[in-house]
Amino acid sequence: MDQLKPMDTTDTLLYLTRRVLQALAVILIVTIVVFCLLHALPGGPARGILGPQATGEQIAAFNHEQGLDRPLPVQYVYYLNTLLHGDLGTSYTLNEAVLRLIEQRLPKTLVLTVLSALVGLLLAVPLGMWQAVRRNKPADYVITTLSFVAYSTPVYFLGLILVLLFTQTLRWFPSQAPQGDTLAQVFADPAALVLPVVTGAASMIAVFSRYMRAATLENLSEDYVRTARAGGSRQGAILFRHVFRNSLTPVIAMLGYYVPVLFGGALVVEQLFNYPGMGLLFWSAAQSSDYPVLLGCVLVISVATVVGTLVADVVQRVVDPRVKGGRA
Amino acid sequence: MMKGLKGLNILEMADLGVTFTTDTGDVPAVRDVSLHVRPGETLALVGESGSGKSTVALAALGLLPGNARASGRVTVDGTDVVAAGEAELARLRGRTASMVFQEPATALDPLTRIGRQIAEVVRNHRPVSRAEAAREAVELLRRVGIPEPERRASAFPFQLSGGQRQRVVIAMAIANSPGLLIADEPTTALDVTVQAEILDLLRELAVDSGTGVLLVTHNMGVVADFADRVAVMLRGEVVETGPVEEVLLRPTHEYTRRLLAAVPRLMLSGEGPPPSGPPEEPAVVRLRDVSVRFGRGRGAVRALEGVSLDVHPGETVGLVGESGSGKSTAARAALGLVVPDDGSVSLFGTDLNRARGRARRALLAGVGLVLQDPVASLDARMSVAECVAEPLRMHRRGMSAAERRERIAEVLELVRLPRELAGRGPRELSGGQRQRVSLARALVLRPRLLVADEPTSALDVSVQRTVLEVIAELQRELGFACLFVSHDLAVVQEFAQRVVVMRAGRIEEQGPTMTTLLRPETEYTRRLIAAVPVPDPVEQRRRRTADRTGATA
Amino acid sequence: MSAAQGGRFRSAGRWGLVAPRGGAANRRRPAPLIARFARNKLAVAGVLVVALFLFFCFVGPLLYSTDQTHTDLTQVNLPPSGTHWLGTDAVGHDELGRLMYGGKISLLVGLAAGLLATVIGTLWGAVAGYAGGWVDAVMMRVVDAGIAIPALFILLVVSAITSPGPLGLIVILGLVSWLVPSRLVRAETLTLKNRDYVLTLRATGGTHGRAIVRHILPNSVSTIVVAATFQVADAILLVAYVSYLGLGVQPPSTDWGGMLSAGLTAAYSGRWWLIVPPGLAIILVVCAFNAIGDGLRDAFDVRGR
Repeated sequence: MDQLKPMDTTDTLLYLTRRVLQALAVILIVTIVVFCLLHALPGGPARGILGPQATGEQIAAFNHEQGLDRPLPVQYVYYLNTLLHGDLGTSYTLNEAVLRLIEQRLPKTLVLTVLSALVGLLLAVPLGMWQAVRRNKPADYVITTLSFVAYSTPVYFLGLILVLLFTQTLRWFPSQAPQGDTLAQVFADPAALVLPVVTGAASMIAVFSRYMRAATLENLSEDYVRTARAGGSRQGAILFRHVFRNSLTPVIAMLGYYVPVLFGGALVVEQLFNYPGMGLLFWSAAQSSDYPVLLGCVLVISVATVVGTLVADVVQRVVDPRVKGGRA
Repeated sequence: MMKGLKGLNILEMADLGVTFTTDTGDVPAVRDVSLHVRPGETLALVGESGSGKSTVALAALGLLPGNARASGRVTVDGTDVVAAGEAELARLRGRTASMVFQEPATALDPLTRIGRQIAEVVRNHRPVSRAEAAREAVELLRRVGIPEPERRASAFPFQLSGGQRQRVVIAMAIANSPGLLIADEPTTALDVTVQAEILDLLRELAVDSGTGVLLVTHNMGVVADFADRVAVMLRGEVVETGPVEEVLLRPTHEYTRRLLAAVPRLMLSGEGPPPSGPPEEPAVVRLRDVSVRFGRGRGAVRALEGVSLDVHPGETVGLVGESGSGKSTAARAALGLVVPDDGSVSLFGTDLNRARGRARRALLAGVGLVLQDPVASLDARMSVAECVAEPLRMHRRGMSAAERRERIAEVLELVRLPRELAGRGPRELSGGQRQRVSLARALVLRPRLLVADEPTSALDVSVQRTVLEVIAELQRELGFACLFVSHDLAVVQEFAQRVVVMRAGRIEEQGPTMTTLLRPETEYTRRLIAAVPVPDPVEQRRRRTADRTGATA
Repeated sequence: MSAAQGGRFRSAGRWGLVAPRGGAANRRRPAPLIARFARNKLAVAGVLVVALFLFFCFVGPLLYSTDQTHTDLTQVNLPPSGTHWLGTDAVGHDELGRLMYGGKISLLVGLAAGLLATVIGTLWGAVAGYAGGWVDAVMMRVVDAGIAIPALFILLVVSAITSPGPLGLIVILGLVSWLVPSRLVRAETLTLKNRDYVLTLRATGGTHGRAIVRHILPNSVSTIVVAATFQVADAILLVAYVSYLGLGVQPPSTDWGGMLSAGLTAAYSGRWWLIVPPGLAIILVVCAFNAIGDGLRDAFDVRGR
């Protein structure tokens, strides 16, 4: 007689181990890319550490002293070692350890991106489902067109339009994001958060309502929907009890790949609304060629992205029992 | 006034017509279908693909897809389904009439525990508490023969086998003791032994509660096993109706006769031709102690274990077994598509997995391959001629275009396809035609070995018959050996000289076909044969009773 | 592997409301691609918009000629009028002429970068998918790493190091955006290499080369074309960010993104004509390419994105 196929916890552990190893491999590759960028800088890493005023002789001396005239693989190992000690270098405009700077700024950026993501998802998911149900009706066409427009508008242009409309004309919201140093200060002024969050969420609403629409349509044509109908379930019950969850899982998986886009959006939004997060730090570092800060930020953002993707994958696995034990 | 019919027919159809609106215009799928099902009776609706039988079944519950229009009258226990609104239909479905579908793999919501899915149907129609519905779900699981129902109620569908999932679908269907059960090919996706169990279950449930059953199937054996009356459909119309003995044993309509003649019948007794001694010539394919594992570590699946078999020149070896028995993997190992972890494969006397590059390709040029799926077997972008020409382009580089054209025409004629098809795309061909194109491609190099993996399993019986006949005829003419993989014992019995029975990656037994299938040595083979329903209701009833007494004895 | 009668024919009714299963309905020649594409009204509108903009940017300057190299400080910041239909900018260029002039760069760089990204992605994805095993694993980890580094950050770092011309821009944009097409093509290759006709070819002595050239690449064309269309849309959008990040083409040359970011401050002083036309142009063209991609995907019936 058939055995009940187990939902094995060791399987989940095995998966987790494999997935974490993969993530580590990805981070390793990211460090290689950043290492290459470091060496592509005019003057190389020496310039990165000694600053823009260093002379050629100073650089040569530094290179010899630090072993930077040794073969690149050796240098890479050395570089990894400094990274492992949490040393991302020192900013030469702000004269502070890069890691310290990022520690101060990252939470604010996370607040912005997480809020944008939440607002985006909470709007996109019902929109997409509604579109699927009203497929090829006027409402579907209107939302589809709006999604295309929202996706196709450069974030800075959208932000500008919103500021012109809601700050200059209607005077509903301020044009500056909250300025405080602590998170408490950031949350103390929720009205000031509205425009940055909406700007950051717009393209996400567009993209994820499309995903949700496609996933819902696909699930509506699945056999289990017919089974439920044959059992006397009403359309609404089928939609919310079955189709919703089945459509949501692939959308959650896509969330992982959207993390870098969210950070990219934060870069623009922070600059636009003068919000002192990592994006703004990065932006000003680019204006002053503050390479240690630039590369440090790239590294941290990428690691955050890898972790985000990992979390999305694991969440999907928890939500969807099929993935476990489904295939060896 | 409609209630007057209630005691008579649970389902009544009068002049049902269904038309599909498609991009290329309206397609009538069903015309003037009139039939009825009485309580406690089973009506089998049979026909080949495209005959409209499933459409009739869906129309009975108002489950037709959005682009379909129904006309005529369909009455289920007094309710006119064609005229009813969605709310009225929802009250009917799952209570008065319910349905069991073909694909147990996809019929259940993958993310909802099976107990909840059954409870949902209960609560759709009766005001019982959540806890009460859950208790009923467990009870229903017990009734459909799921072991440890309390535990399994909280399982997800993927944790169950195909047969168990179909039991769950049946549990949902009987949750509110419906008067009518519609079963659309309920056992087609299942192995024969599981099919026998599911049919027994359905029969038991129907007899117990006096439920009327509309059984849609293409399988005449299932009809003989299960039905009281039969309606035969052809191109959207019912061409013959009558009691099962009449229709299956004394068919009156021409089409029914042809259909029944095409059904491969498993011979259960009698003498085959005396088995000839093992051929002298060396085997074209020889597997020795072949083991294959998929995956690594603890999750690894042993697909083959210690499999040894030979195929000699000119003979056909049938490789049979249920799903997961490893029969396809064995065929793939014989072709080098799967590399064994242990053991050796020799093709035409050469070790296949040691041969490299040109030598290996030359070796494989002596093999033709036909796979199951008529759609996936041909590249839809290529014309028939290009598909057939591919092996020539691979192995006869020097051939001129004119010679190639000639050879293609020749081989198309061999498989009885008109020359004009050469320029067509596979999408314009029927399933049977596509399989014959695959066969032409396999034979264009005059191979010494043909490997056929379920070549006719996706085809209708009448088409299956012609394709099998073409293969047999060409084999006599061209003398190639054939490794024939099939789940269908009747086909193998007709077609193969020797048979190899596989089970769970091992060879259960092998021998001359007539010996092995008439006087099997192992219990497993005996059970396999007993599970195949024969398309003769009298004979099938006798076997079933014998099987029952045999089983209890 | 029981006989699933008709079970395999179900792809026809992907949304559950197309044709009856099996039989005659499958045997018809499918409606031609153009007819299927034409059914999507948004996609047809997209084609029209792209055609209009190509005409506008490449033929327009012949009909409406303006001086886009010399500044004219007597004619700065003029609102739209009979002589300057869309007004003038801060250094006296005619805005309508500038829209044509900048559009050339935006469209050319976007198209070229999108195609370059598709080519790189296709090759990478096809090799990874077909090779499988550890080659695939390593190649896909590289893609994951690429996806993990947000493109805008990389572009900003590059802008801090160098300021490239249009050709350099194409290469840089191509190099940061090939990742998504590589994933799509890899997935497609993975399915195609296990198709029955490829298995048959391999089992009867066909080479890997033949499998790739005769079956896998031609059957991926639809996926690649769809990916390329979306890629062009994304690239045009990315070009619009590039000037904003300070990496754009140098004056007097410009592109829509350059016009837009140059006009940002002007917008607060009410000179809407400096930002609305380039902004609308970007939105319209990117929308159009996305709509075309959507229509092509439905017409080809490919998945992804």
